[in-house]
Amino acid sequence: MNRKLLLWLLGAGTPVLLLLLWWATSLQSTDTFFPPLKDILQSFQQLWLFAHFQSDVLVSLGNLLLGYAMASAVGVALGFVIALVLVARNVLEPLIHFLRSIPPVALVPIFISLVGFGTEMRVFSIALAALFPTLIATVDGIRSVDSGLKDVARVYRFTTVEKVTQVYLPSAAPQIFSGLQVSLQVAFVVMIASEMLGPSQGIGAMTLLAQQSFMISDMWAGILLLGVIGFAANIVFSLIRRRVLAWYIGSRRLARSS
Amino acid sequence: MKIQPKTLLTSAAGFLVAVAAWQLVATGPMAGGPLPTVTSVAVNLAAVVVTEAFWTSLATTVGIALLGLLTSAVAGIALGILVGSFEPFRYATVAVLEFLKPIPPIVILPLVVLVLGPTGQMSWFLVFLGCLLPIIMQTVDGVHDADPVARDTARSYGLKEPEILLRVVLPSAMPFIGTAIRVAAPGALIITVVAGLLGGGPGLGQSIYQAQAGGDYPTLYALVIVLGVLGMFFQGATSAVERRMLHWHESFREAAHR
Repeated sequence: MNRKLLLWLLGAGTPVLLLLLWWATSLQSTDTFFPPLKDILQSFQQLWLFAHFQSDVLVSLGNLLLGYAMASAVGVALGFVIALVLVARNVLEPLIHFLRSIPPVALVPIFISLVGFGTEMRVFSIALAALFPTLIATVDGIRSVDSGLKDVARVYRFTTVEKVTQVYLPSAAPQIFSGLQVSLQVAFVVMIASEMLGPSQGIGAMTLLAQQSFMISDMWAGILLLGVIGFAANIVFSLIRRRVLAWYIGSRRLARSS
Repeated sequence: MKIQPKTLLTSAAGFLVAVAAWQLVATGPMAGGPLPTVTSVAVNLAAVVVTEAFWTSLATTVGIALLGLLTSAVAGIALGILVGSFEPFRYATVAVLEFLKPIPPIVILPLVVLVLGPTGQMSWFLVFLGCLLPIIMQTVDGVHDADPVARDTARSYGLKEPEILLRVVLPSAMPFIGTAIRVAAPGALIITVVAGLLGGGPGLGQSIYQAQAGGDYPTLYALVIVLGVLGMFFQGATSAVERRMLHWHESFREAAHR
């Protein structure tokens, strides 16, 4: 029992210790690239709370959410069509495999050339890049639906709508969610990349601007904020997943313990 | 798996229709705009492929990606075994690793560019960091998955700790490590391209940036197509390597007999 407590303390203590160490060792730092943590936190407060909150942070998050929502909706819907309609699968699958092999960030210059540097470009880049993980996971998820379940649905003469909503969607849900998680990370990366290319607003643009104008602690503040957003987005996603897939997680735990 | 000729035919037709649609849009409603025609992209692709500069930047891109992947595999497996074998280490690092995991390497790109400059070293470092965490975490999981009975058996046969590590723990962790590297490999390529595109590192990313900045859209599209093909190669190659190295593992055994 005592040992357990000690280990737990170790887990909670190490990050705090590392932060304190960063603070202490950097306090006297004169290195241009690694300013004191104190200065970084000061810049963080000046920049993001709340001078640029509305003009940059909200804009970035809004683009991220909008692009991601589009990608999720289209990805799941198209995934169903491709998995269930044979012709669509044959026609679209090679194309999709080619498109998803392109590094998502490489699509950003193409969108810049097509629609300019505006908000549409960023939302579209995010949406297209984040589409593929969800799409492919959905197709795989539906294909691996238990054939017994399909037969039962057929015996009970489920309509197509019933089949989709009551058989396919729930049993593919775990895989769809892991696709959605990858999509979220891709969307986040493309959000930053789309802001770093060309003159624009947003957290990524602010961070790169600070770097180019040698405002090092401002750049660190941007990196810190992006890190926190990346982490927080993942936490929020996990919470939603745990709620929606509660039945699945519970059944897995039961299966493992027996 | 054998591909039906009919399937192949519909797939080819789908591809042709997509290309034809692109050509129609480029010559019709968007003629003279930023969307180049298929023919001009094809001509450009053919012209680019014969230049020496193209092959140099292709080789640079692949080289950086592979070197980054290799170094992060070595470091990641070593650290993963260390963290996985000693409980205090695991508890101390779990919170830190979980916090850092969802943060993509693009976040610290401005800092790395600042310190290392727009060099190949910078690209390598980003690839290294980006692949490191997933490999560490999978190795830790793999070490934990080692069969305790096999461990105890080895110990009762008088094997020393290093030997147990080499003959029992490491082989049982191999499938986890293999999966981690296969998942990380396309990421390595993507990060190399991102580092070139946003950070000015050498390779295809830089060529894409130059094509976009110079308004040379046919070359831009040609390069993105090259990246797509390269990405497909990378995925295929890493799966093949994984299958070869893990041919003894049960998830691959069945495939060998077919």
